Amino acid sequence: MRLGIAVQLAALLALVGALAAGLTGFYANAASQDLLVASAQNQLLTSTQVLARRIAITREEISRDLRLLASHPAAIATLEQRDAARADEVATLFGLVMQANPAYVQIRLVSADDYGLERVRMDRRSTTIVRVQGEDLQEKGHYAYVSETLKLHAGSTYLSRISVARERGAYEGSRKPALRLAMPVANGQAQAIGVVVIHVELEGMFALLAADLPADFHLFLANGQGDVLIHPDPDKTFGFDKGRRVLVQDEFAPTGAIVKGEVDQVIFDAVDSVDGPPMIAAFVVHRIEGPSEERRLILGLARPLSDVLAQSRSLRTTIAQIVSGLCLACLLLAIPLARAFTRPINAVSLAARRLSSGLPPGQLPLERQDEIGSLARSFRDMRSQITRQLADLQTSHAELEHLARHDTLTGLPNRRLFEERLDQALAHARRYGEQLGILFIDLDRFKSVNDECGHEAGDAVLEAVALRLKTMVREADTVSRLGGDEFVVLLRTPGPQGHLGAIADKLLQGLEEPIAFRQLQLRVGVSIGISQYPRDGQTSIEIMARADRAMYTAKSSGRARFRFASEEMPG
Amino acid sequence: MDRLRFDRRRFCLALPALATAPARASAEVLRVLAWPGYADPDVVSVFERRTRAKVDVTYIDSDEAMWQKIGSNNGRDFDVFAVNTAELQRYIRRGLVSAIDEKAISNRGRQLPRFRDLHAIPGLVHDERVYAIPYTYSEMGLIYDRRQLPREPDSVAALWDTRWRGKVIAYDGGVHSFSLAAQALGLGSPFELNDKDWPRAVERLIALRRNVGAFYTQPDESVALFRERRAALLFANYGSQQLHALEAAGIDVGYAIPREGALAWLDCWAILRSARNPALAAAWIDYLLESGPGQVLATRQGLANTTSASEHYRAASNLVWLEPVESEERRNGLWSRIMAGDRADRVLSS
Repeated sequence: MRLGIAVQLAALLALVGALAAGLTGFYANAASQDLLVASAQNQLLTSTQVLARRIAITREEISRDLRLLASHPAAIATLEQRDAARADEVATLFGLVMQANPAYVQIRLVSADDYGLERVRMDRRSTTIVRVQGEDLQEKGHYAYVSETLKLHAGSTYLSRISVARERGAYEGSRKPALRLAMPVANGQAQAIGVVVIHVELEGMFALLAADLPADFHLFLANGQGDVLIHPDPDKTFGFDKGRRVLVQDEFAPTGAIVKGEVDQVIFDAVDSVDGPPMIAAFVVHRIEGPSEERRLILGLARPLSDVLAQSRSLRTTIAQIVSGLCLACLLLAIPLARAFTRPINAVSLAARRLSSGLPPGQLPLERQDEIGSLARSFRDMRSQITRQLADLQTSHAELEHLARHDTLTGLPNRRLFEERLDQALAHARRYGEQLGILFIDLDRFKSVNDECGHEAGDAVLEAVALRLKTMVREADTVSRLGGDEFVVLLRTPGPQGHLGAIADKLLQGLEEPIAFRQLQLRVGVSIGISQYPRDGQTSIEIMARADRAMYTAKSSGRARFRFASEEMPG
Repeated sequence: MDRLRFDRRRFCLALPALATAPARASAEVLRVLAWPGYADPDVVSVFERRTRAKVDVTYIDSDEAMWQKIGSNNGRDFDVFAVNTAELQRYIRRGLVSAIDEKAISNRGRQLPRFRDLHAIPGLVHDERVYAIPYTYSEMGLIYDRRQLPREPDSVAALWDTRWRGKVIAYDGGVHSFSLAAQALGLGSPFELNDKDWPRAVERLIALRRNVGAFYTQPDESVALFRERRAALLFANYGSQQLHALEAAGIDVGYAIPREGALAWLDCWAILRSARNPALAAAWIDYLLESGPGQVLATRQGLANTTSASEHYRAASNLVWLEPVESEERRNGLWSRIMAGDRADRVLSS
């Protein structure tokens, strides 16, 4: 099937439109996703930094609590004087602090002597805070949080390694990750006479820190060596404690640079993570100032990539709708556009077809100022030129035709036209049983007029004879000049022979009248031979020949008379 | 190349873990429970390449931790493990280990004669069936800082010497600690405490705790503590392995065998009854008796292997090879109370 320009053009326009809309949509979608991921990464990094800052603040807050407790006169008195009343006071104080801080699971006052014997100890047991007393108090001198803290200056905070507490009886159900912060208690001589130890549960602390993070954020915490401490999968935490180290740099290769201390923060797409969905993640290092078994912590937040990209879903739908709408609009626009474009072309084409059929051209887009207008105007000019030339041609053709069939001098039909008309008349008469009459007329004194008065006079005579003959016969009859001074008249349905004779008489008389030529009155007579169809012959040759002979007979009989061919003996 | 990255991400979204998961799942896994230094990553990777199996190593740092890890699921969580000859006995009693097909361990021929004769080593053969293949051994001597101790300590009593209070580093393990206390008390056997011995032993161990600066469980941890606390004396549970590590750390240390005799362990590889593929476990043991792993043990860890003579091993030394104790449970239970800081009455009342 051949497709018209309109269809091809419409298809092309629609295709180009759809392609443009589709590409725009695709790149808009891609760009929006990249933007979303980049902004999500920045958001993650900021959140992680905020979290790290909050850890520092939390540590400062714990230090403030420690300072308050370690410098409290009741604590110093309890250690120095072993005063039970003051110990009760300290216990009350510890209890209040624990009530205010849900992440504190234990606070103790430990003496430097008696091998680090606990003097006051408050344990959190599920919902209540319980004081441990008497024989249940333990010696803790062999633990670093006591021995190392005692070496510190007053007011310095000791931070233990973050680990799973194994210490039996530290507090009930204590198998949870925790860290201990401790501060020496100094007497008046600035000697460390004991320590205050706060036991902080890691989960409780981070639950508070991360409370306002979005639900799909995953929190990661690792120590300076990369050992995972907090992970969405609890099986991966404290691997070193279970004999199988789980390192953050194994889990997320890009964090290796942080563990090595090369960079302080990394952002990455964890698309290659072995298990779990692709994530985007931000990790930062958090340095711990002051005496601590943990010099650095590595803190990270991750989000599933799908959650980030989910935000672009509505945008993607909108883009898809816009693209579909544009495609449809392109298609709808392409059809009338293609039509508008091809309609004037079709008009010109139609005009060309009508031209060849000789019909008027119809509406042409002549007023347009573009190429199509120019084409239409050219076509119009070409068409009018052709029309003009054709008219000229027809005129000359008609003239030639007239010349070929008429006598130039008299304007009468010549022999050729006469013979045609005679043949037509014969055919008609034969068919309808009609009769025809032929009057063969020859001027009698034409030669002498010519010789005596000149050719101009001869011509005037011939013109005058022709005029008189035409006026004297019916319009249906044909008067013709056969040549020289010979004329012939074809009479249709002449009637009886007498009627023919009357016509011949009338002609004889009419042509006897003198013809004025300048000052001369020229007189020429005529001789007429008459033949009839069907009586004198069947063919035009026969009839003409009989009329011609009858004319000669009339002439030889004394001129100025007529003779019927039927009156003669067939020669 | 933003665009490229974007495409890659989309591709990854489209193909979740499908590509990698089956390859991993198809590999056979050998689950090894071992002490630090027994299955270093390079040693493991040679075996993995050779057998196309994946070796999953879990480390323990105390006999008690090992007993709990294996016992918690009746041994079903592991295939092969390293245990000393004394501890091995309770695993055999509980029916956790299976006999080893000696013929599958062709490298046994490379072992020194005294390790080849399994009958001569107490506890390895029961009813003519072999339950473990010797791997490495050490005595638990005393490591001391030569600059702080002018003379080599000649008795375990040095650990209780108040001159070194806070400068003694000891091992956090109940069974060995009670053996040590028995030696200090001059009891007949460090492995068999009588009813009347318990209070004395507990009293000794509380005294030890009061003299100790810090307890450790891992060799690396002991090295760090020794250096950071400027310790004078260390009870070397890991023996020559710790000596080697401390020397490598540049610390001027000496190594002493006390006159009471140094407790000594011989660690062996045993296969658990519920091992998924005992042949693969046997191949692991056989591989570790090759010269490569043996060299790593000797040069990197400072531990003796069973295929070549050890520079650390002194045949003439006064060694007390570990034997099964009267009750691991009792020793460990008391020890955990001692470690928590309880005083004698509270410990003994438990």
